[in-house]
Formats: sequence, structure tokens, C-alpha cells
Amino acid sequence: MRDSIVRLEKAAKAFATPEGQTVTALDAIDLDVKRNEFLTLLGPSGCGKTTLLQAISGFVQLDAGRILIDDEDITDRPPYRRPVNTVFQNYALFPHMTVGENTGYALEVAGVARAERTRRVADALRMVGLEGMEGRKPRQLSGGQQQRVALARAIIARPKLLLLDEPLSALDKNLRQSMQIELKTLQHELGISFIFVTHDQEEALTMSDRVAVLSGGRIQQLDTPRAIYDQPKNSFVATFVGASNLFEGEATRGQLVTKDGIAISHGRPDATGAATALIRPEQFFLAQPGDTAPSLDVDLEQIVFVGSTFELFGRTATGRRVIAEIPAVRRSLVGEIEQSRRARLAYDPAAVHLLPGEAA
Amino acid sequence: MSSIAFRRRAQLAILLGPVSLFLAVFFLGPLAIMIVTSFLAPGLYGGVEWTWYPHNYGRILGFADPMFEDFDPVYIAIFLRSLKIAALTVVATLFVCYPAAFCISRLSDRWKNFCLFLITLPFFTSLIVRLFIWVLILRQTGLVNEVLLGTGVIARPLELIYTDGAIILGMVYVFIPFMFMPVYASVEKLDWTLVRASLDLGAGPIRTFLRIILPLTAPGIAGGAVIVFIPALGNFVVPAILGGAKVMMLGNLIEQQFLAARNWPFGSALAMMVMTVMLVLLFIHVVVSGRRGFDPATGH
Amino acid sequence: MKIFATLARGSLIAYTALFFAFIYIPLALIAVYSFNANPVNMMTWTGFTTEWYAQVLGFKTTISENALYLESTSQLVEALWNSLIIATSTTAISTVLGSAMAIALYRFDFFGRRFYRVVMFMPMLMPDIVLGIALLIFFVNSGINLGLTTIIIGQCTFLISYVFIVVTARLAGMDRTLEHASADLGANEWTTFRKVVFPQLLPGIVGGALLAFIISMDDLVITYFIAGVDVTTLPMFIFAMLRRGIKPEINAIAVMMLTFSFVIASLGLYLRSRQK
Ligand SMILES: Nc1ncnc2c1ncn2[C@@H]1O[C@H](COP(=O)(O)OP(=O)(O)OP(=O)(O)O)[C@@H](O)[C@H]1O
Ligand SMILES: [Mg+2]
Repeated sequence: MRDSIVRLEKAAKAFATPEGQTVTALDAIDLDVKRNEFLTLLGPSGCGKTTLLQAISGFVQLDAGRILIDDEDITDRPPYRRPVNTVFQNYALFPHMTVGENTGYALEVAGVARAERTRRVADALRMVGLEGMEGRKPRQLSGGQQQRVALARAIIARPKLLLLDEPLSALDKNLRQSMQIELKTLQHELGISFIFVTHDQEEALTMSDRVAVLSGGRIQQLDTPRAIYDQPKNSFVATFVGASNLFEGEATRGQLVTKDGIAISHGRPDATGAATALIRPEQFFLAQPGDTAPSLDVDLEQIVFVGSTFELFGRTATGRRVIAEIPAVRRSLVGEIEQSRRARLAYDPAAVHLLPGEAA
Repeated sequence: MSSIAFRRRAQLAILLGPVSLFLAVFFLGPLAIMIVTSFLAPGLYGGVEWTWYPHNYGRILGFADPMFEDFDPVYIAIFLRSLKIAALTVVATLFVCYPAAFCISRLSDRWKNFCLFLITLPFFTSLIVRLFIWVLILRQTGLVNEVLLGTGVIARPLELIYTDGAIILGMVYVFIPFMFMPVYASVEKLDWTLVRASLDLGAGPIRTFLRIILPLTAPGIAGGAVIVFIPALGNFVVPAILGGAKVMMLGNLIEQQFLAARNWPFGSALAMMVMTVMLVLLFIHVVVSGRRGFDPATGH
Repeated sequence: MKIFATLARGSLIAYTALFFAFIYIPLALIAVYSFNANPVNMMTWTGFTTEWYAQVLGFKTTISENALYLESTSQLVEALWNSLIIATSTTAISTVLGSAMAIALYRFDFFGRRFYRVVMFMPMLMPDIVLGIALLIFFVNSGINLGLTTIIIGQCTFLISYVFIVVTARLAGMDRTLEHASADLGANEWTTFRKVVFPQLLPGIVGGALLAFIISMDDLVITYFIAGVDVTTLPMFIFAMLRRGIKPEINAIAVMMLTFSFVIASLGLYLRSRQK
């Protein structure tokens, strides 16, 4: 297991709410973070992402379970004795200290000599593109610059693991995108594992080596971004990451039939029993006369132009909602269906993904 | 784990121990002794006799120890007058501060801060000096009379000092910051789009004031009223300087019992009346504003 | 409509001007009339003189004996000296105790925390006279001689509250995640306190101390009851002078005191505004 840097074993945490109930924030979580890995925690608000990070950094005491870093049990260590640093959501820069003092803080409290500290502060600031700003106070910096200081401060002591709790959520869209790239590059250069929290699925998919989708204090799926998107393990993951059309029913050789009688072809002849078929909106295409691909007939309720694509919102004869995305280059075809308000949506059975069981 | 708990407990004890001890002995202790004293009999030559004697309270209400005294409402009259003066002080202070708070809240940040500075500044200067100035202005040979006599508006000097009015004026003068700050805090928070919404919905300026502005600034007014009323009620410096021997308030009466009449139990009972009024007021304030989610500890 | 709005605005501004006039004109008057040469009727201007100041400060003057209170400046100086001793001691004690309590209530959640908060607000709200007589009864009953010690103890009981409130306000504005950040970067609790909490708290503590000092210097009522016969503070001294009748020297003293506290308070408020 030398390849794992952090391991959570059956980590559990529940909070008592003021109303007298208990909320399970972490439900016996097992998690392995690999060396050099960029792992993202993705999930809806309140699913336990922050709690998980704080358990690792030491601000939340687990009710049960263990946390190991490099095979060493750190469950009962206080935060200041864990080789883990955090980039806080609101940056948490010390307002009474300069950028240099903020950045060098971890070294200062570790007793590193001043000369070396100065040098390493300059290095760290250079890495985040803030060379020469040592003398400024945090309030004299822009939001993006503060973000970089927080980053420099967290990496200067070379932690084994860097935790980032929605670090980009306070930035505007452009800055956010450039920071995403920088973070990724930085992680590569440093060779430190990152655990990154976000509830922006696009961010999760573009940045991560692996994504853990959380819900209700459990890891629903831990996989590469592609696997999360293409082969979600359950309907929660399927609906949370990306838009989806789900058809729950009985699977029999090559076909799945829903209760309302819709038949979906799929490429898994071995599957039988209750199952749910997933078709992503972009997998649909408009069937031409004479096409042999399986298809669904829908009445169109709305056609929305979003630039690169048209989004079609339709209903089957049985009233089931279907979303499809048609590339905008197919303009002429869309013009036709706009007239008739009806469309035949075809799909490739091999691209249909089958989820076990019923959709929730 | 338990060593962490132990350390925390030790830290707490170090931080809180000395101050708790100090306040228990020198703050709660004296209050307790005062309460006890208010139920003891006065000694003949000052001092206290350690016997149960509830008549101190009866005496305030006019029904004294039937062995010694007849019904005499002099003390209840003083008590009621003190309540009246304190209440008028609150009203007057509010009238002085409320419009000014509005005006100042609409200024630019620079001016705002400067005005707040000007209002708090007198609070840091000697109370007694500020009251003394009003003696110079109001007394028989004071500025007002000199000017009025000099210009021939009046023939004989007016009696300005040593009146209820003089006391209220003096109190307003020294309590302005107490009223201004809470009122200002709530006026400043006032969301002016609500006022615009009200005007937009057809309410006139007066209606808007009564239905929107007043209710929204009520917490500040209530807070200011409480913190002006309580010290005004028990005040003894202002009546001593601006009321002379003529206008007696609770504060002077208490002082007399301790430093002249030497009837400590009766003085303590009077002080207890002040405390009771204060506690009742605070209780009402906390209950009423508690419903709006008020934390008495932080003030909002 | 427009005219009404302008009118309303104008009268509001006029009102506010009056408001400040009400506060400051009396202060200005005393400053002017403290240079009035008239020894009998202080509000009738007869000429400019600095004799009153000279008299108070102990220089030789030509003022006749019966226009004076002070047998000598040394009485005044002694009262001032007492006030300074008391204010310095009470500031030191109440700053330490009040800050300690504020920090304790901020950091720890323990049984009785609410009770502490209520107790801390009581001395501020309670009319001075109640606390004054309670302390008097207490000290007399416990056989402690009235004097400097009792004044210092007595003033501390309510000054602690002032310090507590100022420091608590500062703590409330502090960001808890900064402490987390510090711990996260490897600082233990003590280091975090020293390097992160305390530096941010310092302006609050200094502010509380300054406030305690000023209030102590100015306290009349409580001190009045527990001072005993031997010790006189500056406010008590002036109060006694006022009760004996008004003579022009007091103007000079008043103006000097006003100037002193204006300078201190302006300094304090200025420092605070710079801190922000
Ligand atoms: N200190 C606490 N006391 C009580 N309940 C808490 C506490 N901290 C978190 N919770 C609860 O635990 C659950 C998980 O919270 P957590 O902060 O981990 O969510 P999150 O995934 O970070 O959400 P978000 O995306 O909104 O930041 C929530 O239901 C929350 O209400
Ligand atoms: Mg969170």
C-alpha cells in the first residue's frame, strides 16, 4: 500500500442539531488517496464534504474509524501535528500580518531560521506569481491575489496532502478558469496530493484524476471523471453529474421495457431483471427517414438555443420527459422539427448505460 | 483525549478563577449584604440592629412601623417624582437624538465618523464639569438671566436652576451619547428601499414613518430608553448640582440616609426599589426583544 | 413634492446643527469665560485675565483671598495625585481581569456562561449609587478601612465590565477560521494565541484600558461613598467646591480637565480609527 498517502477507514461523524436530531455527516467512509493524486470531492450542499476535509485536517473529531497518513494513525492528533495543510474557502489570511509573514507562518512556528524562511517565502510566492509582494497587507490585495497567498502559505511547508475547500468559489468566472489550470500545474510540479472540494461538476471533471461523488455522508462513487460520467454506479451519480434521461424497467435480452411500455435497446445481452437505462442528452440524434437505429418519438415542448447546441425538451406519448442535445450545425434539421413539433430521437444502443436496480 | 480536556479545564480555571473570585466577593457580596441590610432595623445612633424588620419597605410606601410613625406619603412622592423625571428625561433625550441620528446616518462616511466622534467625545470628559457649566448658565446671575435682563426682556431674574426642568436639562445633556448610539445603530441599519417601497405603494410620508420607519428603529429606541432611564432614576449628582436642596430625587434621598440620617437599612430598601425597577425594565426589554432574536450580551 | 423634500432635508440639517450647538456651546462658553476677570459675577465680562489659571497652577496672583477656594494648590494636586494612583491601579487590574474573562467566555463553552454574561452587564446598567452604597455597607461590615484600597477595589467591580465589553466586541469581530488556519499550519494553541489571537485583540485591550482609565478618573458617585474621610479624588474635590458655592477658579480647573480628557479621548479614538 505504499502507493496510498491518506487512508480513511470507516470514518464516521454525526452532529447533533439544535432541534435535537442527529445528522450523519460521514457514514462509515472508506477512502484512499494516492500519492500525487488530484482527488475531488463532489456533492450537493450539506453532504459532508467540509466535514470530511476537517476530519483529515483535525478540526473535526471522528466518532469512529481511523485516519492514516503514510500508514501512520493520526486520528487523535491535534491539527497542528498533522502533515496536512488547508486552503480555506475565505482564505483566512491573518489580517495583521504581511503577505510575507502570512506565507512564512508555517516555517516560523516550526522554528525555521529567518534567512531560510525569507528565501522559501520568496520561492513560494514566485510559484504562485506574486514575487515581490512580501510587504503588502492582505487587504491591499485583490481576491485572486489573496487566493494565491493562501495557496503559497499552505504549500510552503511541503505538506503531504493539501486540502482545498471550495477555494475558487469566491472568484469570478474568468479568474476561476485560469486558477483551475494553475492549480493543476502547481500540483504537478509539487508532487503533493490534493483533495479538492467543489460543487461545480464541470470543475470536478476537468481538474481531477479521480472524483468522489458524495451524498448523505457516503461516497456514492469514486472513479475517474470519465467513468463517473459514462458509467455512473447509480442514478444519484447519473443525475448529479451531467444531465440524464433515465428509464427504469425490466431488462431482457438486449432490451429494457419500462412500466409505461417504452422499449430501450441496449448493448448488454446478458443483463436481466430490474434495471435503469441511462441515455445522456447528447447521445440522441435526429433520425433521418430510413435510419435503422432504435429511437423514441416525442412531442416537443420547447427548443432552446444555447449557442453550440439546441436543447430539445420533449415528452413521449406516455408523458415521460426527455431531454436531447443536438449540435447547432444541424440547424436545418432543427428547422424542420420546429415546424412539426415532433421529433424522432435515435440513439446508439452500444452507448446506453445500464444501472442496476430501480431509479430512485 | 482526556489530557486535552484537562488542559482546557485548567486554562479555563486560570482565566476565569481570579476574576470570578473578585466579582463574587466584591460585587455579588456587597449586593447580598445590601439586600440583607434592607430587612434589618436601624440602630439608634446609626448602625444596624440584627433583627428582622420589614418596615423599611413599608415606610417607602407611606405605611411605616405603626409604633413610631403615621402614614406619610413623602417617600412615595419622591419615588414617583423620580420616575417622572427619569421618564421625561428619556422622552426629551429621544427627541433630541432621533432626528439628528437620521441626518447623520445619511452623511458620507467621513462626516459620519466625524459626527460620531463629536458625540462620543463629551462622554469622555468630566461629568461634573459638564454639569457645572449649566449652573453657570442657569443660575440667578447666570448667562441666561444676565442676557435677558440686559436686553430688558425680563425685569427680574427667572428661576431656572433648582427646578425639575433644570434637572431634566442636565440629564439630557449628559445622557445624549447613551441614547444616540443605540438609536443611531438602528437608524443606520434601516433599509431605505423599504421606505421607498412604502412610498411607492401609496403611503404618505407620515404613514411611512409610523408604519415602516418607527417599527424598524424601535429596537434602538427601546435600548436607548432603557439605558437612559435606569441611571436617570437613581441619579444623585445631577439633582445635587442642578436641583439644589429643593428638588429631591431618589438618589439624594439614598445619599441622605447614608451620609446624613445614617439610616442604612432604609437607604438600602430605597436602593432595592431602584434595583427592582431596573430588573423589571430589563426583564421586559429582554422578553420583548428576545422575541425578535435579541442577544442581551451582544446588544443585537 | 420636490420642495417638500428639500425643505424637510434643510430642517433636518438645521436641527442637527442645533443638536451639536447644544452639546458644544456650553463647553465653548466655559472656555471663554474662564478668562473673564470679573471675580464676582462670572458671566458678566469685565476683561481678559489669565490670573485664574495662574492661581490654580500655584503662581503668585493679585486676586483677593475671599474670591478663592483654594488655600493652596497643594490640595488640588493631592486630589489629582490620588485620582492618578487610583486610575492607574484600577486600569491595570480591570484590564487583566476583564480581558481574561472576555477570552474565557469567547473560547470556552461551559456551564454558567450565560450567567457570567448577565453578571458582566449588571454593573454597567446598575445606577452608580446602588453599587456605591452596597460597597460601603460591605466594607464597613467587613472592617476594611475606607481609603485608597477600597476605592480601587470598588471601581474595579464595574471597570471590569467595561473592559470585558470592549474586548468582547473585538473578539466577536474576529474570524475563527484564522485560528484554524494557524493550527493547520502547525502552530499549537499557545503559539496561535500569541501570534494570531493576541495581536488582533490588542487594540481592543488597549481601548478597554483607556476607557477604564478615563472612567476611573471621572468616577464620582461610587468613589464618594467608599472614599472615607482621608482621601479625596479630583471629581470629589470639585464636587465639594461646587457645593460650597461657585468661584471663578473652578472655571480654570474645568477647562484644564476638559482639555486633558479631550486630548486623551481624541488620541484613543484616532488610534482606533487608524487600526481599522
Ligand atoms: N458543527 C456542526 N454542528 C451541527 N451540524 C453540523 C456541523 N457541521 C456540519 N453539520 C451538518 O453536517 C452536514 C454536513 O455538513 P458539511 O459542512 O460537511 O457539508 P458540505 O458538504 O461541506 O456542504 P457545502 O457544500 O454547503 O459546504 C450538514 O447537514 C450540516 O448541517
Ligand atoms: Mg462546505
